[in-house]
Amino acid sequence: MSSITQNDLANLDDQSKKEIMTFLESENSKQKVQMSIHQFTNICFKQCASNVSNGNLSSQEETCLKNCVNRFLDTNIRIVKGLQSIQ
Amino acid sequence: MALSSIFGGASPSQQQKATVAASSSKAASVKDQLKAQIGQELAVANASELVNKVTENCFEKCLSSPYSNAEEGCVDQCLAKYMRSWNVVSKAYVARIQQASTSGEI
Repeated sequence: MSSITQNDLANLDDQSKKEIMTFLESENSKQKVQMSIHQFTNICFKQCASNVSNGNLSSQEETCLKNCVNRFLDTNIRIVKGLQSIQ
Repeated sequence: MALSSIFGGASPSQQQKATVAASSSKAASVKDQLKAQIGQELAVANASELVNKVTENCFEKCLSSPYSNAEEGCVDQCLAKYMRSWNVVSKAYVARIQQASTSGEI
């Protein structure tokens, strides 16, 4: 896998470079979403998973997780707005 | 590799088709190799993030007293619950993003 050399990269034509940049940008934004999901799951699992003796989610737990994500985002938006108004 | 199939690592075969004809085969192979490598590394990063978070959470929930066989069962159930939670959170977040983008917030 690691057989790409510096030279190979330098010799790429402009179109390929551009394509790789686009690819990187899209992977980058996908990865940000993924990392947010990891973060939300971590926070909301702590809040919502009451007992772990059963591997299935109860309907309360599922609702709790959904609410948790939405309230987290509401809070985030509100804080951004709050900070903007200070400036 | 199993990890990239979990996290939808790059599928070079689809991306290859459109551009192979346009550029030289050397550049195309470097490009595809690069993409595959990036996809692979992202999949590994995601998998290790998941392993860390599940371990942290299930350690907290299950291992309150000295280790016993009953706690092994707890860890298994906890892992199953965490994965289901991950899916619910993922759906809720994606729905929220879509809702925000259709209403022009983003």
